[in-house]
Amino acid sequence: MKKSLPRLDSKFVVITISVLLLLYFIVLPLLVLIYDSLFIDGVFDISNYKDVYGKKVNWRALTNTVQLSLIVMVASVIVTFPLAWLVGRTDLPGKKTFRTILVASYMIPPYVGAIAWVQLLNPSVGYLNDFFKFIFGLSKAPFDIYTMGGLAWVLTLFYSPFAFITISRAMEKMDPTLEEAARISGSSPLKTLWDVTLPLMMPSIVAGGLLVFIAAASCFGIPAIVGMPGNIEVMTTRIVTFLYMGDDKGIRDATALAVSMMIVANGLLMFMSWMLSHKDYTTISGKSTRPNMVELGKWKWPAFAVVAGYAFIAVILPLTSIVVTSFLVSMSKGLALDNFGIDAWIPVITSSQYMESVWRSIGYGIVAACIGTVLALFVAYLSVKTNVTGRSIPDLLVVLGGATPSIVIALALIITFSGNYGLNLYSTMWILIVSYLVKYMTMSVRTIAASLSQVHISLEEAALSSGASWIRTCKDIIMPLVAPSIVAGWFLIFMPSFYELTMSNLLYGSDTKSLGVLLYELQTYADTQNASVLSVIILLIVLIGNIILNKVTKGKVSI
Amino acid sequence: MAELKLHHIYKRFGNVTAVGDFNIDVADGEFISFLGPSGCGKTTTLRLIAGFEKPTEGIITIGGTEISNAEKGVFLAPEKRGIGMVFQSYAVWPHMNVVDNVGYPLKIQNVSKEERLQRVMKMLELVHLKEYAERFPNQLSGGQQQRVALARALVAQPSLLLLDEPLSNLDAKLRESMRFEISAIQKELGITVIYVTHDQSEAMTMSDRIVVMSMGKVQQIGRPYEIYTQPANQMVADFIGLVNFIPATAKGDRIFVNGHETLSFPNPKKLAGDAVIAVRPENITISKTGGMVEGVMNHRFYMGDSVDYRVKVKDQIIRVIQKGAVYGTYHDGETVYLDFDNVMSFAKEE
Repeated sequence: MKKSLPRLDSKFVVITISVLLLLYFIVLPLLVLIYDSLFIDGVFDISNYKDVYGKKVNWRALTNTVQLSLIVMVASVIVTFPLAWLVGRTDLPGKKTFRTILVASYMIPPYVGAIAWVQLLNPSVGYLNDFFKFIFGLSKAPFDIYTMGGLAWVLTLFYSPFAFITISRAMEKMDPTLEEAARISGSSPLKTLWDVTLPLMMPSIVAGGLLVFIAAASCFGIPAIVGMPGNIEVMTTRIVTFLYMGDDKGIRDATALAVSMMIVANGLLMFMSWMLSHKDYTTISGKSTRPNMVELGKWKWPAFAVVAGYAFIAVILPLTSIVVTSFLVSMSKGLALDNFGIDAWIPVITSSQYMESVWRSIGYGIVAACIGTVLALFVAYLSVKTNVTGRSIPDLLVVLGGATPSIVIALALIITFSGNYGLNLYSTMWILIVSYLVKYMTMSVRTIAASLSQVHISLEEAALSSGASWIRTCKDIIMPLVAPSIVAGWFLIFMPSFYELTMSNLLYGSDTKSLGVLLYELQTYADTQNASVLSVIILLIVLIGNIILNKVTKGKVSI
Repeated sequence: MAELKLHHIYKRFGNVTAVGDFNIDVADGEFISFLGPSGCGKTTTLRLIAGFEKPTEGIITIGGTEISNAEKGVFLAPEKRGIGMVFQSYAVWPHMNVVDNVGYPLKIQNVSKEERLQRVMKMLELVHLKEYAERFPNQLSGGQQQRVALARALVAQPSLLLLDEPLSNLDAKLRESMRFEISAIQKELGITVIYVTHDQSEAMTMSDRIVVMSMGKVQQIGRPYEIYTQPANQMVADFIGLVNFIPATAKGDRIFVNGHETLSFPNPKKLAGDAVIAVRPENITISKTGGMVEGVMNHRFYMGDSVDYRVKVKDQIIRVIQKGAVYGTYHDGETVYLDFDNVMSFAKEE
């Protein structure tokens, strides 16, 4: 008992410090944001909201956002459920490869996807449009990416992996004998899918759908690149436009929009976790036999063709487009053999301005990942391994940060850390790093906590009773067992921070322009080739990161 | 009726033969157990009968109808076989209440709602769950979920009931009482049962016949008494009950215990060369005065209804169990004598 007393104290100190840090950097900015949207010069006044939603353009942005997110959510679920089922529960040929490809689009930065689809489907020189014109002898391009349809298309392709991952994970966890029991009761495979599989999957389907809805509604890169040229505004682009105005009124309008977004997003996520905790059937499973794969029979190859076609359109086509564009000598000459070369690469690689942004973003990613992993380790350890009162508060605060749309975080940080509340981080690298931490630490905490919770307390007790001190136990028993998850947690912060656009775009200063911002500027100034070269560089770094991650965690965690 | 026949059934997964040449004719109303260590192919065989796996070779018939014939490419889907099945994990659907779970097979058959409810209630009465009709699975204990699974498997009056280690997730007391309950229900309904288990006492108490399996092969098929008293080989003798194996050599019509040239037993199987003598611990009598072999008391374990002795004979430890013995009769290190009864003999297995 003597030994445990100072330990409890150090735990208490750690818990206090981490709670204070998280309160200051996550909760305070969000409260300031809400306060600013409701009080003008200290007086309660909802005229902000009346003003903002009184204007047609804002109202239009809201309805566009809701409409788009709903379409994207429904489309994602309709596309992903059969995909998850085919890949997870049937004898589909090549399903492991498909799984990797379908999850892979999750690690492509959304704005890179947007750039790719603009290259493929823009009405004047889109590769695919040209191809269709050539094949069918059309005089006019059949597709226009700069429409609601085009926006929904790109959003669906890049956010459906959220649904795919959620649904297929639940499908893998489901006890297959639940389906077999229906078969032996006389029900056909299709009726089993309807009577048993679908109802059991419903909570996960709804959860996956909501994740897609929130992601699509919070996305800035895709609407900015695909929507803006067609004058389609959504909430995030409106907020940015207001902020670009730079005056007080602009900021106030932006806060009103941001607070509405935050409430919807956090509300939906709260509903989701409540629902999953009450109706998650998938965790109920006994020891089960090897899952019985449904034999597709004569549908095997048609199904293969459909899944392969989807994987080609969703992942391979846009990536190819980006890579090919980066190696074109001249954009105007189109796809011809003598038009390929590394001409576009040389000015990018030799440009000190471009390369500085690349190194800067890598640096910010590393700093954010290192700080974030240490914090995540504390937070995860407190919530999983101790029984101190309030141990899960830091965890909840981190989840709150991760659940808040990026644009809302950025705005809240701008308002709060311009000097009024103790710190002035404006235009420094630290405001970027804080924003990355607020947004991405949650994934890291989840990964480390999951791994820590698998280290049963008896393993620690066995070490203690073998005579090891608590510190020694941490070093010899706990750390080796959770080390892969710590590496994974590091990359889960590094990678999205490294290519982050939405928050960086609002928070960067003249000396802190990140890679995402640079790429976005190049794309908006119609310098597609340099944008493609930088995109390929990003993709390469993300790919390398993922390979390391896969090696370290033996395929258990990837982005 | 529901005779079940498996003829020359093989199941291979790649290069691995999970089931090799399985043959059995099960009579109508018979209770058959598949018994063996994990990985012996018993569950795979059950899944072949259910239709969740396709045999690589062989023919399965139920009541004279071929439901699976690998040569002719006949394979009836599980839902068309009219079989009831209880799974190890219960597989009670968590999104349906007890009535809906049990009534599901009838719903598939388009049985009217009134009749369905009536038959479901009859089943629930049979498994003593009538009061739980409206409950959801998460409000039931493991044993109750087990009964729901049993009622669901029986409600459509299948001619064949398959049970896949149904009791292995229950605690010891409940396991024993469920054992007798399943037996009683089987007798009452006269249904043919295939019961997969790795627990020999379950197989012994419930079955008409036991199929002992190991490494994908049937080792022996027989009534519990035969399996226990006349095991077909060393593996069966070892897996069923406790046994001492003693190296021996067969010469002519006698088998000589190695190292005890004067001690020999009859050789009814006409073995030759290296052999093994097997004797169960309860078939050995221990005494202070004299017997077939001399040994030294090594250890004693008091079991309540019996004492479990370890006696060192030359360099082998022999296990002896004496019912109703008194712990203090012998002392460790004391010289004792053993007499063997019901001695079995086997050819030496590698």
